[in-house]
Amino acid sequence: MLQSKARAEPLLTARGVSKAFGKTQALTGAALTLRPGEVVGLLGANGAGKSTLSRIISGHIQPSGGEIDFNGAPLVLTSTRDALRRGIALVAQETSLAPDMTVLENIFLPDLATPGRLSFKAMREKAGKLLSGLGHEHVLPLDAEVRLLSAAQRQLVEIAKALALDARLVIFDEPTASLSTTEVNRLFDIMARLRDGGRALAFVSHRLEEVFAITDRVTILREGHVVAEDVATSTLTQGNVIQHMVGRDIGALHSARSAACASVGAVVFEVRNLKSAPWVRNMSFAVRKGEILGLGGLVGAGRSEAVEAIWGLRPHQGRKIFVRGKPVAFRKPADAVRAGLGFVAEDRRAQNIVPDMSVRENLMLAHMGRHRGFGRGYGKCAARMAELIADLGLPMDRLDSSLLNYSGGMQQKIIIARWLLTDPEILILDEPTKGVDIGTRSSIYRILQGAADAGMAVIVISSDFEELLGLAERIVVVSDGYTIADLPAARLTEEKLTLLAAPRTSTARNRALLKAFAQDYDADAFWTLLDGNELICLAQEGRSLSGLSPGEALRAEETLIPVALGARRNEFVTETDGKRRTMLVQMTDTRGHGLGWIGVTVAGAALMSRPEDIRTRVQALLRAGEEDV
Amino acid sequence: MTDATASRRPGALSLILRSLEFRMFCLALTLAVILSLSSPFFLTERNIFNILDQSVVIGIVAVGMTFVILTGGIDLSVGAVFGLTGIILAQLLQTMPIPLAIPIAVLAGAAIGLFSGVLIAVFGLAPFVVTLGVMAIGRSLSFIFSGQRSISGLPAELDAIVYSGLLGIPANVLFLIALYLCAWGYLTYTKGGRTIYAVGSNREAARAAGLSVMFYSVLPYVVSGALASVAVTFSLAQVMSADPMAGSGLELDAIAAVVIGGASLFGGRGSIIGTLMGVLIMVMIRNGLNLMGVSPFWQGTAIGSIIIIALLAERLITWRSTRT
Repeated sequence: MLQSKARAEPLLTARGVSKAFGKTQALTGAALTLRPGEVVGLLGANGAGKSTLSRIISGHIQPSGGEIDFNGAPLVLTSTRDALRRGIALVAQETSLAPDMTVLENIFLPDLATPGRLSFKAMREKAGKLLSGLGHEHVLPLDAEVRLLSAAQRQLVEIAKALALDARLVIFDEPTASLSTTEVNRLFDIMARLRDGGRALAFVSHRLEEVFAITDRVTILREGHVVAEDVATSTLTQGNVIQHMVGRDIGALHSARSAACASVGAVVFEVRNLKSAPWVRNMSFAVRKGEILGLGGLVGAGRSEAVEAIWGLRPHQGRKIFVRGKPVAFRKPADAVRAGLGFVAEDRRAQNIVPDMSVRENLMLAHMGRHRGFGRGYGKCAARMAELIADLGLPMDRLDSSLLNYSGGMQQKIIIARWLLTDPEILILDEPTKGVDIGTRSSIYRILQGAADAGMAVIVISSDFEELLGLAERIVVVSDGYTIADLPAARLTEEKLTLLAAPRTSTARNRALLKAFAQDYDADAFWTLLDGNELICLAQEGRSLSGLSPGEALRAEETLIPVALGARRNEFVTETDGKRRTMLVQMTDTRGHGLGWIGVTVAGAALMSRPEDIRTRVQALLRAGEEDV
Repeated sequence: MTDATASRRPGALSLILRSLEFRMFCLALTLAVILSLSSPFFLTERNIFNILDQSVVIGIVAVGMTFVILTGGIDLSVGAVFGLTGIILAQLLQTMPIPLAIPIAVLAGAAIGLFSGVLIAVFGLAPFVVTLGVMAIGRSLSFIFSGQRSISGLPAELDAIVYSGLLGIPANVLFLIALYLCAWGYLTYTKGGRTIYAVGSNREAARAAGLSVMFYSVLPYVVSGALASVAVTFSLAQVMSADPMAGSGLELDAIAAVVIGGASLFGGRGSIIGTLMGVLIMVMIRNGLNLMGVSPFWQGTAIGSIIIIALLAERLITWRSTRT
């Protein structure tokens, strides 16, 4: 670890940096020290000034005051080009790539601005070298157009672009916001390589786990002031950091809802066999009055696509939707709004905010969508609006200013209030706390819990499993376009949820095999993950003999086949009562990763099948899987 | 600029002062003062009526254009629709009474707008290209329907729609005022009007909130087409003949008026009052230059410069208020 070595001289020191936007003081006397070979976390709630500080250092904006030394000399930047030339690069949340140009052209985009001829051959070689230095030469096709790449790949291009300029200081501004867990790990791997190569890195984030995973030191900002400067990460706990960020002890983020949940009533909303190619393959779930249902899964699992299909925003096949038991068909969002649904879409800027309209008009937008008639119908809900605004802590006299003047957290609260204003029976929220600071987060949780207590059925989509477990009473797990589990949150942990949600390319094939087993042997065939005494059933077909059902988390003794689950033999094992025999076959890929167990339970002593048959068929399935990959 | 960086909680007065309409009003006023100082004939009752009269055609067409531009679209076909429906109206008037012929001509304009609107909103074609096509078709059809010549011999009673009036104000100017009041009320206080703004500002959000995005994307083109034929009716009543070339360049005048009035070509921003100011500014420049005896060939340069200066000033002001 670096702490043991002598620390290098600072590459960049910022002292007393201030910045005002109009009358808003975004930064007051901020300080930051970055050293080669270190990752410094720049933390703070939304609006704390961390993005402002990183944009100042990368030349996007000029500070109103303060001094910055870079490499031992005062640094005055007039543009981002200036910063790039000196070796300072920013890898931003929204990437600054030209979507219609190729990966190669984007990596060397700054070179296009220099006079003289370009040698594509030399560029290609250099790009190859850069990418192999990152250890990912195979994931980036140099001739692909950037718009066809995934968010993670675009980020990789952005990093390569910084390295092509030989950047010595790289600032990562919320780089993980749209990445899946695997992609985050890959990014951290790259960051570690860059650090070990002697570069100075800054990591701007408010995801605490990630900060602890990658940073060596942290600087914490609150309301434009530095509240903790250059503190070694190892001396901090998550509690310390939160305390610094919000300036008070916020205690438990989630106040657990009363266990009784007496308000939970009848099913008000149900979706059966929703399909929307290519993302949503088969999803079913139901939510009750007064209940908060979590839709958990990884980014790309098809959750957002599913609710967008429900909402009439994307094409769909074979969907059956029931509101209060009656089948409905929403052809367009207006139908859903009038049926008493509300929907806070995932992308705040692209799908929710109307930028040219005032706060009031943004608040009234869904009401207007529901309202029938010629006028705006604003008068109708003025009283309800006043109530909501008081709840949000928004001064009445700023209703006519632009929504864009507010922080992301406040914008999100206003968008949620937009839907509460229509008093929906069912409210769907897609990643309601994405890019929202911790303080606002807990008030959003409070708003949602209040709404559920008042009898609203709430569906929350989130990639943050901790959030889902704290907020929802029941969680439906989505993986690869299928709803694979429906469990009470109390029975789940983050680990189990992660296991359930992990996408499995083998899902469809495994299901087919289970069906075949169930039919051929008149058996109960299941696919399960075993972890010590606990198991999670991923799929099950045929007769119900084992006591397992899909999506359930159980302990071995709660099933009907505890002996077999304990023995885990590649042979049929008879239960103590002699009524059931079970065989378990473990599936492992060539790299030795366990893919779970296939189990076959048959009734009675009469054994119709030979264990070798089953083993052979499972092996054949695995080989088919390898060939596909 | 003290008003651009005013306090965080603006009062009603400072809101008015900061509004774009107010700035455009100031520009129009300044222009009027300059012109009345340069020419003794500018500030006469007769000339003021002249200016209002000259504002009627472009003013009516600019209302439709405002609707279209607010949704983020553009309608290049208004000039051609103006010419075509003028010919249609003139032909109808040969055989039909006036109260029947005018509605049919207006419906024809609306139908052309509906055609463009459906292609744009339902089939997702680019507004620029669709209306460019309609413009070519419209102009060509007006030559065919007219037999390549002007149509005269219109009924003498037609001029009543211009030369009757109230309190000495001619009917066409009264109509213009009423039209602007209605359009302003519609865009500000009705669901449809606000939807048009929302569609132009963020189509996705408007759709997700349950607004009828499709309907209100088509409607502006229908309004624009219909108003182009209303405008030609007033024009016909004054000129008493229909020319197949009538209205060429009208689309550019209308777009210029809307843009001078502060609308954004990306949609979502702009206002009907701004458009009115834009129309008056354009007409005043033409009128003033005529009075001063400046060659008509210089008018384009003058109007072009005003457009660019207005846009540049607006950009500088918004920079100041967002970036300081």
